[in-house]
Amino acid sequence: MEEMRSGIVEEATLLGTLVHFSTHAGDPMAWRAESGMRVGDRLEPAAVTNPLPVLVAYGYVWTSLGVPPKQIFEIPEYAEPDRRNIHAATIGVSCSAPRAVENFLDMGHFPFVHTGILGIEPHTEVAEYDVQIDEKNEIWATECVFYQPLAAATSQGGQMTDYVYRVPHPFCVLLYKSCPLDANRKDVIGLFVRSVAEDHIEASMFLSLIDDESSDSAIRRFQQTIFAQDKPILENQFPKLLPLDPRIETPIRADSVAITYRRWLSDLGVTYGVIPAA
Amino acid sequence: MIKLYDYVLSVNCYKQRLMMDILGVEYESIPIDFYPGLEHKGDAFKKINPLGHIPVIDDDGFILRDAHAILVYLAAKYDTSGLWYPTADPELIGETAQWMLFAEGTTNTASAARLHVNLGYDFDIDAVRDGAHKLFRVLEEHLWFREQEGLGWVCSGAHPTIADLAIFPDVILSEEGGISRLEYPAIKRWTDRFKRTPGFSIMPGIFPAGPG
Amino acid sequence: MTQDLPQRHVFQGKLLGRELAVWRAEDEFVNVWENRCLHRGVRLSIGINDGRELRCQYHGWRYANRTAGCTYIPAHPADAPAQTICNRTFPAIERYGLVWSGEDPSGELPNITVLDEGNPFGLRSISVNAPAAQVATHLLEYRFLPPGELGEEVAIVSVDQQNDLSVTLTSVVGVVSSTAVFFVQPVDAGISVIRGMLSEVPADETRIAVLRHHSTELSRLRDRVEAEAASQPPPEPMVAAIEQVSVKLSTFPKRSEGHRAQHRVQVIRKWSSGEGIMAFELESIGAPLPTYQPGAHIDLHLPNGLVRQYSLTNGPGEGSVYRIGVKKEPNSRGGSSCLHETVREGDVLAISEPRNNFPLRRDAVKTILIAGGIGITPLLAMAQTLSRDRLDYELHYFAQSDDHLAFGSILDELGAGVVRHLGLSPDETGAALGTLLRTYEPSSHMYVCGPGPMLGATRKIATEAGWPDEAVHFEYFKNTNEVDDSRTFEVSLARSALTLQVPGGTSILEVLREHGVPMPSSCEQGACGTCSVNVLDGEVDHQDVYLNDTEKKTGDRMMTCVSRAKSDRLVLDV
Repeated sequence: MEEMRSGIVEEATLLGTLVHFSTHAGDPMAWRAESGMRVGDRLEPAAVTNPLPVLVAYGYVWTSLGVPPKQIFEIPEYAEPDRRNIHAATIGVSCSAPRAVENFLDMGHFPFVHTGILGIEPHTEVAEYDVQIDEKNEIWATECVFYQPLAAATSQGGQMTDYVYRVPHPFCVLLYKSCPLDANRKDVIGLFVRSVAEDHIEASMFLSLIDDESSDSAIRRFQQTIFAQDKPILENQFPKLLPLDPRIETPIRADSVAITYRRWLSDLGVTYGVIPAA
Repeated sequence: MIKLYDYVLSVNCYKQRLMMDILGVEYESIPIDFYPGLEHKGDAFKKINPLGHIPVIDDDGFILRDAHAILVYLAAKYDTSGLWYPTADPELIGETAQWMLFAEGTTNTASAARLHVNLGYDFDIDAVRDGAHKLFRVLEEHLWFREQEGLGWVCSGAHPTIADLAIFPDVILSEEGGISRLEYPAIKRWTDRFKRTPGFSIMPGIFPAGPG
Repeated sequence: MTQDLPQRHVFQGKLLGRELAVWRAEDEFVNVWENRCLHRGVRLSIGINDGRELRCQYHGWRYANRTAGCTYIPAHPADAPAQTICNRTFPAIERYGLVWSGEDPSGELPNITVLDEGNPFGLRSISVNAPAAQVATHLLEYRFLPPGELGEEVAIVSVDQQNDLSVTLTSVVGVVSSTAVFFVQPVDAGISVIRGMLSEVPADETRIAVLRHHSTELSRLRDRVEAEAASQPPPEPMVAAIEQVSVKLSTFPKRSEGHRAQHRVQVIRKWSSGEGIMAFELESIGAPLPTYQPGAHIDLHLPNGLVRQYSLTNGPGEGSVYRIGVKKEPNSRGGSSCLHETVREGDVLAISEPRNNFPLRRDAVKTILIAGGIGITPLLAMAQTLSRDRLDYELHYFAQSDDHLAFGSILDELGAGVVRHLGLSPDETGAALGTLLRTYEPSSHMYVCGPGPMLGATRKIATEAGWPDEAVHFEYFKNTNEVDDSRTFEVSLARSALTLQVPGGTSILEVLREHGVPMPSSCEQGACGTCSVNVLDGEVDHQDVYLNDTEKKTGDRMMTCVSRAKSDRLVLDV
């Protein structure tokens, strides 16, 4: 929302379809780009004859080309009064949405891709963790631990950091991470992926933190750095679409959550951004 | 200490960090919220650079903008070897200036394509990609012949210059703009060589080279 | 082009729509692999060629020179990767300064007489955005001048030979001529590369001018073909099918099974490497030798029918031969004496795939390797790996004297990482071990291999000094315990739904095999760990020397060759 200009028509591509959107009296509107208005025009609400469903959640406008459920998945932490909710960036990547989600679920690459930040050699082991699908049909990976160098600004040397991963939507993924300032609570980091095309995405990074020290721009800088380190990996994966046939790639135990995610996508019947299993 | 008005994902800011890391010059990075904050377009920053772009350096009160101009200054002032900006040799300095202008071209094509894909900047994406491929073809042939001459850098000396340093980041990140380098094997070898320059440092999106 | 493959570099290529990662190893072997890591599909061309192995940029998986077999998965440092995790490779031949490869190459490479008889000189390859056949057609009209006549305006160019994707041309000016051969590499439906060479190397002073002449003229030809191709509808890109991995790999990798001697090797070198120690270098006479990992051993089938296990001493990436060391046992039952006295250079022996029951973790902050005598062999492989990876390690080598040290040249190469402890009595050895194991630091690991009494002592000293079982790794060469196989009991096989009687005097392993259950094994005396199975229920009577005390107490694994049941029944995960 904070990147939108009030009352001005903007555009975004969703699943290959050009969508225009804007705000009217503070409320968002979205429609297929066929109203006669052009990007940058002042919104004329009357010209929108065929609006798309919209809702506002977690600082973003959500829309759908189909008939979406009334509610979006819940992130209760968003409403906690002492948290800072931050939009870190929306960045375009030449990859499919599920490849980006799967990378977000992966700890094993930390020492090699986020060297010195999220991991460092030789601390490369991915210990066993639990993966379950809950009654709301969301994937949860719990008891994940991984060695993080300089886990907090206050700590000398590295320490084991706890992670919980959650996949509430095929193209949205959340991470709950040990909070350096409050041992009983967790910071939330979300990746919300909009598929521009099957092999092209724009990914938005969302944070809900307990942190009264770092500036917004420092937090954004950190998150953008991490994402930009993942980018060349995502853009060099082949095939670009995520193969759901289990015999196209070679999983190891560390990939338990990715294996569950691929099966779950198959079971949901997702066909966009994936190569369905034969 | 030098202050660098900086953004971690900016190719042109990376060029300055890389130069100072290679020369062993200490500097202080002043982060600018380039995206999504657009701080470089704000009134406060325009007092530092009325053109509203980064990088800018402030070296003890001396303020300089424009990526390639800053490289000239840094090398001329801080490279005691005189190899990165080889003013002692008229031909070599002429070549360096020529290839610095080429780097303006790669910035305006390859790096523009990257800004379009990553952050939605409004460029004619087909035109900038075509433009980048045209320049890469020229660079590929040029570097291939350099190897044939027993040399390894864009200018005809035995040591890289600020021209290599100015072109390298635009090239190595071109795939983010959808510009494949499959057809440019001599360029790939040159990027490998450049990554092995003593003092070399990375930015997000670039992997370090393996052991030489 | 050969010149595109310098050391420590990975070339990104494409042939008929399939991307390839091409790299040259230190031993000059040219690897042509599909350009995707088997794990998550990341291009290997962005990985690191360390001279012997290619490391994937995403998760640090390492793949061996020649075989493309995976040698290390950092996410599971305690496990040896399954033998069958192997990238797709394509055959490669270097000829005329070009690397030739293909999906399913058949027959022989074309012999180009002018190049065979001449002195091929490579031109700059030119990439063209046009279909290969169209490029080949235009090449028939390629015009160029012979070296030495570059100032001329016109030459007579004739077509000497023409195939689908190659053409040989000769240019004549007066009495001077030059022959050029061009091959068109079909990169994708609409992309090609012209790879050209002259049949003779031009004189030094014209070399660059000749290269420039062809680069310029071929670029002009390219511009013409591209202009023509641009006016036609672009062809559909080629689709290179991805080969499926085995069903076994697509679930979770397990260790390979089987007790077979699949490979035939020839002894290409046999030499004395220390007092009472013979070293052997074994080279494959069939398929290339399989991937091995530090700590791995092979079964060696001897001419006298005996089967013995020997650790590979090879460092990483030295996969063209296997190197083993054999100590002459004074009470040899025929194994070591046969190798010392009978086997000669040139002999052919059968060996199994390498098996790794003594895997090396590479996520340790510090690694201590302790070798007693011939126990040096697996630890040499480990030390070379750690040294190359620049990881912190010490190799302590206990031996009778300087003369008894094996593989001295490798020890010299390892340099300061090796500490020699010579001529110590058992008490002195104990004291030395006590000193070097006196404190346990978290994330340290130690590996010990040598004679049974020394292993026992080392393990005891380590335990007393606070080393946890999971940080103490050991490998016995033999089990000197007296095996008690008198008890009769029953085993239930949970997965095979079979219940079998194990009578006294027969091992579980033998009973399983009799009933058609395929079981891997190697030493069959409880030392190597190959015949391990998981135990679901029942109390195990452990008689092996492979498992550590914690593992034995936990009781969820057993060695079926020697261990038996204390309870009346065992339920096995077989």
